[in-house]
Amino acid sequence: MSADGRPVLEVADLEVHYGLRRRRRRVLQGVSLSVACGETVGVIGETGSGKSTFARAVLGLVRASGGRILIDGEDVSRYSPRQWRALRRRGVVQYVFQDPLRSLDPDLPIEESLIEPLLVQGVGRKEAIERGRAYLARVRLDSELFGRLPGELSGGQRQRVAVARALVTEPALIILDEPVSALDSANRVGILEILKELRDAGVALIFISHDLGSVAGVADRVAVLYQGEFVEVGDARAVISAPRHPYARLLVGSAPTLRSAAASRAERDALRALLHA
Amino acid sequence: MVRRVLALPTGRLAVGILSLIVLLAILGPTLAPHNPLGTSALTLTGPSWEHWLGTDYLGRDVFSRLLAGSRTSVLGSVEVALIALTVGVVPGILSVYFGRVFEWLTLRIADTLIALPFLIYAVAVTALLGNGIPQAMFTVGVLVSPLFYRVARAATLAVARSQYVEAALISGASIGWIARRHVWGKVLPPVAVALAQTIGVGFVVVSSLSFLGIGVQPPAPTWGGLLASDLGYLSYQPWAPAVPALLIMATVWGSNLLADAIRDVSGEAGRALLHSRRARARRLDPAEPIPAGGVAP
Amino acid sequence: MTRTRSNATVTATVPAARPADPPAAHSPAVDVPAVDPPAVGSGDPPAAQAAVLAVRDVRIRDDVNDREIVHGVSFELRPGRAVGIVGESGSGKTLTCRAILGILPAHFAVAGGSIEIAGRDIARLTTPQWTDLRGSTISAVFQDPASYLNPSLKVGVQIAEVIQVKSGLRRRDARRRALELLTAVHLRDPELVYDQYTYELSGGMLQRVLIATAIAADPQVLIADEATTALDVTVQAEILDLLADLRERRGLALVVVSHDLAVVAQVCDEVLVMRAGEVVEHGATADVLYHPRHEYTRLLIAEHEQYGLDRYLADTDTDTGAGGGGEQRKELDGVR
Repeated sequence: MSADGRPVLEVADLEVHYGLRRRRRRVLQGVSLSVACGETVGVIGETGSGKSTFARAVLGLVRASGGRILIDGEDVSRYSPRQWRALRRRGVVQYVFQDPLRSLDPDLPIEESLIEPLLVQGVGRKEAIERGRAYLARVRLDSELFGRLPGELSGGQRQRVAVARALVTEPALIILDEPVSALDSANRVGILEILKELRDAGVALIFISHDLGSVAGVADRVAVLYQGEFVEVGDARAVISAPRHPYARLLVGSAPTLRSAAASRAERDALRALLHA
Repeated sequence: MVRRVLALPTGRLAVGILSLIVLLAILGPTLAPHNPLGTSALTLTGPSWEHWLGTDYLGRDVFSRLLAGSRTSVLGSVEVALIALTVGVVPGILSVYFGRVFEWLTLRIADTLIALPFLIYAVAVTALLGNGIPQAMFTVGVLVSPLFYRVARAATLAVARSQYVEAALISGASIGWIARRHVWGKVLPPVAVALAQTIGVGFVVVSSLSFLGIGVQPPAPTWGGLLASDLGYLSYQPWAPAVPALLIMATVWGSNLLADAIRDVSGEAGRALLHSRRARARRLDPAEPIPAGGVAP
Repeated sequence: MTRTRSNATVTATVPAARPADPPAAHSPAVDVPAVDPPAVGSGDPPAAQAAVLAVRDVRIRDDVNDREIVHGVSFELRPGRAVGIVGESGSGKTLTCRAILGILPAHFAVAGGSIEIAGRDIARLTTPQWTDLRGSTISAVFQDPASYLNPSLKVGVQIAEVIQVKSGLRRRDARRRALELLTAVHLRDPELVYDQYTYELSGGMLQRVLIATAIAADPQVLIADEATTALDVTVQAEILDLLADLRERRGLALVVVSHDLAVVAQVCDEVLVMRAGEVVEHGATADVLYHPRHEYTRLLIAEHEQYGLDRYLADTDTDTGAGGGGEQRKELDGVR
């Protein structure tokens, strides 16, 4: 881990295209973001905004057509598949999927999925299991679940396992793609509490979600992604309480709240008209 | 998986039949009471204490010939299945990972092989490579391999696009690692189903070929050859073809039962079966605690 | 100020949940956003209008193991009103809805209580009577819109089909009516959408199409079971706005089922909080949300508020920074 305050991740002018020739369309454009050590950045966006593509580009699963990505100070934009594999094996960046049921092999016991990143690194089996157990405790799961299959766990438990799996390599940065969207409120709070602890422990997080409340509760800074561009980046509290871009305003005004402090229908209609104009 | 197959009545039946046949193939030739090739003056007799199943048109003991022929028949069908397995499964899995050119080529080759009528093609190839069981079986094996190619490829495709494979990839796992750890277990059950089925098919093929007089040189006994020679003397011994026919049917039936049993216990359906059994067991044991963190959907 | 709420016991007969203000179904004046405390609290005389849906102490049993899954749900719904049912997955909210629609899964059965739709007891309905009732009196939309539409037919044709069957219109008139409905659910280019297939439309658009289909035969009651759960926030807001709009303009009565307290708060006049098949709290939305009596309701609210937007939007001065959830967390732990 870099302790000198150098950013864990630096993305500059990232551009991603999908498709070939006539069907080529731009998914991300001019996306720049820097994440410092131990910082939590929320990326807010809806379906089709390009937020998953952003995560996949940072992980090297999608090739960028422009811009630069620096992970831990290394420029990875021109990395070969072999270099990528070596980088991933170091476990500096980890990823948590939205749907834990699909991101854990249904035929492998929890234990096996949990220690896989360690085994890939070449850690001995015995040691890997020991370390895995410790992380299971960190996400408040009973090590009794170790031998169970993912199908035998509840949604909340599975997502905890997925978070623990991301933790075993002691990464400097974890990217979480909608980690709480598939969970009910009690489990959602549970996972968010764990994320807060991680943040306090100095792990940098990129928290991708369309749920403003969750992001606001965990993130230091927020970036609002709309049609492949960051339309607003700033302090989480400031963006949520006083959004400037029309889309950010619509987003905040659309989230239902208990005390109906959100925007009125007329306001929303006006913002929609403004965006579609 | 073996234990799960044996938990099913059909699985036990299939394994029982097939192990009997295998025993027959191993011990058959030594158990034969008479020389299977030895002729005698007693032609086309009925069952007697000396000749349990009678004698054929050259006075050879039918029972001994059946026992002696079992090895050739079983080995032949296993050869077909194994050749089809190796020729089909490996490129099937690799076609998903080895890029577009390899994928396109193997797909076209598989399509071509499917288009060829394999029995006729086998006849043609034995004419070229010489008449013998191994040559014929090799040809048939290659010609049925597209089945394995397709099955393995379909299973691999489903796994390759899954999130847990992507998760392993993000952890830095190599393709070999992913294939061993995540793909193999998912591909195996459907391949096992195809294998069991192909053994049945192979049996029919060996029998059909020797019925046609291809692959096996005349004096050597096989079940199909026996059936063929018995059919020539139907008017003297109408019951004679029944025994080899029954043996062939039993083997094919056993293979198909095994294929069904493997299909039933593997994958989602198998897990559901296992779960329902476990749930039944749990109901008898009320002390099972409800897992923390809510109820699984 | 009349307060209607029943206490949370299994057997308590809920006093026919009298809405605090009477629904004059077609006057938009009544339908100011339901959660506005003044609107809910205004104590007008009890409504004279008959309930379009009356659920009385409904119990649902699982025939396989003979266990009661839902232990007595009661509420009444008048035209233009909205009742919300909240609870975690497995609390019995969806089963209740299915019982109302007469589409309980195979081995479930209504074991007690009664359900009346527009004054008719559904227990005594024959199949043709049910067919007649569904769509034209009661209708529903569910969570995953794509699975309720045929992917190989144009969506417009599917709406027109419902209209032809339900209203007996001829094809050309049905098409015209379908286009009107697509306009009514605020789809921007109804003519274009009419000729599109499901894969060409987004989740929000599909949900609008389904709502259009659901209201095609002008029903009095619409059940929205997690209808916005899978949608983006801005799209969810559009759908909720649309539902509010339909209430105002057509006097449509709504049953909104959601695990999201805030969704129910935004749309409904009245809330039922369910846990494990029991209604633990039932009352006017403002009462339940601002003065929850049952500790489960308090827990739900605390959990929601801990990561809700309210504290950023409403009282920005009470809390400090993103890490300042400690106070609320303590409160939450206390409830647990």
